[in-house]
Amino acid sequence: MNCPCETRGSPELLIAYASRGLDSIQNASLEEHLTACAACREFVQNQRAAWQALDLWEPAPISADFDRRLEQRVAQEVSWGQRIWGDLARAFGPVLVHRAVPIAATAVLLVAAGVLLDRPAAPPLTPEHTAAAQMDALRPDQVVQALDEMDALNQFNHSLKADGAESRM
Amino acid sequence: MPERVNRDMGALAATLDYDAELMLRVKDGDGASFGVLLEKHRSSVIHFLFRMVQNQAVAEELAQEVFLRVYRSRATYEPTAKFTTWLFRIATHLALNALRDGKNQRCEERLDERADDMPARQLQDGRPTAEQAMVYQARLAEVRRAVAALPEKQRAAVLMHKYEEMEYTQIAKVLSCSESAVKSLLFRAYETLRARLAHMA
Repeated sequence: MNCPCETRGSPELLIAYASRGLDSIQNASLEEHLTACAACREFVQNQRAAWQALDLWEPAPISADFDRRLEQRVAQEVSWGQRIWGDLARAFGPVLVHRAVPIAATAVLLVAAGVLLDRPAAPPLTPEHTAAAQMDALRPDQVVQALDEMDALNQFNHSLKADGAESRM
Repeated sequence: MPERVNRDMGALAATLDYDAELMLRVKDGDGASFGVLLEKHRSSVIHFLFRMVQNQAVAEELAQEVFLRVYRSRATYEPTAKFTTWLFRIATHLALNALRDGKNQRCEERLDERADDMPARQLQDGRPTAEQAMVYQARLAEVRRAVAALPEKQRAAVLMHKYEEMEYTQIAKVLSCSESAVKSLLFRAYETLRARLAHMA
């Protein structure tokens, strides 16, 4: 096998071997390599030592009241939610059903009617009005630019026609 | 139609894991299933958080928040991933935030003094000698310092790999990165730990 120390990405094989082990085929192959490779042997020894040192770190016992505290927080949350919804429903429920809905509907209708009636009527547009308005909106430099562009287009069309005639001949 | 969707979700959860099935029951209003999930994962979440932030009180506080978030999310829960992946994603997120906020800064500074967080290792006759206890505490403090010195993401990856025995793919999902990024994180972390702890063999 290729030396895992020298092969890019392979040290993970050595880490896996030194920590949790490999499957029997990989294990046998790596162990054979380890007998011949001092660098990999040293890597595995150091990795095992670090792994075992980490085993020293046993977790501290959990507080006896952890579940009770969590239970309280969950219950508090549930009761808060219920209380808020309950309070809202109690406070606004009857009002919403009996008073607020008709009042809101009437208000919406009144606002809509006011907006429609308040709009000033637009004067009818004649074709002359429209053309005059367009002429007024144009600036002299825009007119010159438009004429230049039309000339350029005409020249382009002529050259296309001339090319077409030559190719047919 | 919703019934069929629920049935399909249930089947998917069952194929994913039993925890996801329990969580779907919590979603349906079964509080007892939440208790089962808590019982099953309480220790691993607290221990992971403890090793991340190195303070038992902060770890328990964060764990409370983890389970509270799980409970709050019950209505919108969908079993799209393994339950423990989701659980540890929440735990890691909270731990990293706590570390960045410097919530446990004071405690890390006094790492050597916090013998009350450490379980006393006993000899065969049940009582450690004073010398053995001191040696053990010194070695343990060295391990804790070595882990605390790792960059946060490397630390999380090592703790999940070493103590939670998670596969690379799951760690990658928890940390929202690629599997090759996890391999690289672990390689660099173990490299540092080997340099600092190999003499302890």
